[in-house]
Amino acid sequence: MGRYIGGRIISMLITFLIIASLTFFLMKLLPGTPFNNQDKLTETQIVQLNDKYGLNDPVPVQYFNYMKNLLSGDLGVSFQQDGREVSTIIGERIGPSAYLGLQSLVVGTIIGLFLGIIAALKHNSFLDYGTMVIAVLGISIPNFVIAGLMQYWLGVKWQLLPVAYWDGFAYTIMPTIAIASIVVATIARFMRTEMLEVLGQDYITTAKAKGLSSTAVVIRHTIRNASIPIITIMGPLVVGLMTGTLVIEQIFVIPGLGEKFVNSILTNDFPIIMGTTLFFSLLFIIVILIVDIMYGIIDPRIRLAGGKS
Amino acid sequence: MSMKQEKLHDISDDMFQPAKIDSSENELIARESTGFWKDAWRRLTKNPGAITGLIIIVAIIILAIFGPGMNEHSYSEQELTRAKLPARVPVLENIDFLGVNGVDIRGTNQYEAKGYEDEYFWFGTDEFGRDQWTRVWQGTRISLFIAAAAAFIDFAIGVAYGGISAYYGGRVDNILQRIIEVLIGIPNLILIILFILIFEPGIFSIILALSVTGWIGMSRIVRGQVLKLKTQEFVLASRTLGATSGRVIGKHLIPNVLGQIIITTMFTIPNAIFFEAFLSFIGLGLRPPEASLGSIINNGFKSLQIYPHLVLWPSIIISLIMIAFNLLGDGLRDAFDPKLRK
Repeated sequence: MGRYIGGRIISMLITFLIIASLTFFLMKLLPGTPFNNQDKLTETQIVQLNDKYGLNDPVPVQYFNYMKNLLSGDLGVSFQQDGREVSTIIGERIGPSAYLGLQSLVVGTIIGLFLGIIAALKHNSFLDYGTMVIAVLGISIPNFVIAGLMQYWLGVKWQLLPVAYWDGFAYTIMPTIAIASIVVATIARFMRTEMLEVLGQDYITTAKAKGLSSTAVVIRHTIRNASIPIITIMGPLVVGLMTGTLVIEQIFVIPGLGEKFVNSILTNDFPIIMGTTLFFSLLFIIVILIVDIMYGIIDPRIRLAGGKS
Repeated sequence: MSMKQEKLHDISDDMFQPAKIDSSENELIARESTGFWKDAWRRLTKNPGAITGLIIIVAIIILAIFGPGMNEHSYSEQELTRAKLPARVPVLENIDFLGVNGVDIRGTNQYEAKGYEDEYFWFGTDEFGRDQWTRVWQGTRISLFIAAAAAFIDFAIGVAYGGISAYYGGRVDNILQRIIEVLIGIPNLILIILFILIFEPGIFSIILALSVTGWIGMSRIVRGQVLKLKTQEFVLASRTLGATSGRVIGKHLIPNVLGQIIITTMFTIPNAIFFEAFLSFIGLGLRPPEASLGSIINNGFKSLQIYPHLVLWPSIIISLIMIAFNLLGDGLRDAFDPKLRK
């Protein structure tokens, strides 16, 4: 197991370095200038600014400097916000995003599991069909459409919830529903399939035959065995959450990392784009690693296969 | 009891004839056999969800083709005096609760207020007075085109990459799979956004950006299937008879993976539509006057509180497309799954 994790961490670091290099060279290819008042600047001022941010050096030198700084944890300074550290900006912005992401993940998973279990236990009933309809809708309807409809009906028309901004729990409800919809749908569907498969296994019949109460069969045998494979879809789900926060933060004007990322793209603030890209990528790689390790612990076949290659 | 016995006695031997015994007819197949595709189609048509999805898709494609030409307005024709009119449909305007009578949320009939009593804009007009019906279907056309093109590129690259990787195996497979491992570590959304930034915004750069990582899923599925198939006896038999690699791949492997490929494509299309809408939505999509569903929704968002109709119709259509493709994809998955065969 130790060797497997070690190998995975090394390949993870290589992936990260490749992403960092790729991001750097893609940034160099970008058209446009990062200085928002370029028209008002004189030639000398532009040269001075370029000098200050090291933009006059040849690209390989810039690349070398960038990677060197990156390895010591320095992500550079923002072009737009007068020399503020990118890492400080990420630190400020991560709070609302992390809160929103975790809240959506936890709430979505609990509701999804609940719906999936009910649907499987009441197979082919009204509840089952209802859950499947919710699942198809949740997977199909784009999150920004859900967000927009909620903003209009719940926020503007009925005035039940604040329309936008970030100021306490009430402000998190609509964004959470918009982001969690896909989590609920995916998990409910997956859990239902798994439950139905487990319910058809011989050991369930054995458990029933030896006189176990149906509650005990459901809780101890069915749900436990059915929920193990859920871990496999956690990776893609967390990625979906990141996509979700990106646009949902934009719609609800939440001062999070996703909103900052989108705005830095629109204003050509290269260091912020690169910093947030690397941050998202690192998060993504770590999540995949954790999911793989957890799955390796649960299912020894994965560990063995992984160790060989 | 006695009645029955009496009846039995009534049946005499001469009422019987010897059966013709012809061993050559024993194995005769009386009915046409049900092949894989026919069986899958039969099971698909029995799935109400899949059929609903199929009908919605066909209807939306027809509307996307003919919708923009169904009235006299073009998608870029501007007229500021008739900006932001609510939806108004002939006949249906007399039924109040449908909300297509040209009355805005404040209760005034905008068509009368602005002097367009004789005009009908079925989905209303946008902030420049452009006909929303024409724009929405034009946008649907572009969204569907982008999705279809992205799905096709994913299909072409994915099948080739996965097929080569699995078929040749060994070192080739090892190298190709290491590349995929790196690519999969990059959040695809971020990669898509970076590529969009480099290319000039437009339909083709969106298609390209979507294809950068889009093919990975397809290649993994094809690889898995080919790995499973290539060790089976019928492939060995074909090789023994002297078939070339090209023939084995084209005649034996691809047809057997085709079901999986179709299912994956069915899920690629809604995914591409979502990503395209998403990019347009955060302002990285098409430039006006061109429009896709995503950019129309994004535009409408600016005036959501006063003119909800600008967001409502394109949102309904994009949701319908996504639901339809997901339903059809689910139906196909069940139809192609031999385990679910009854």
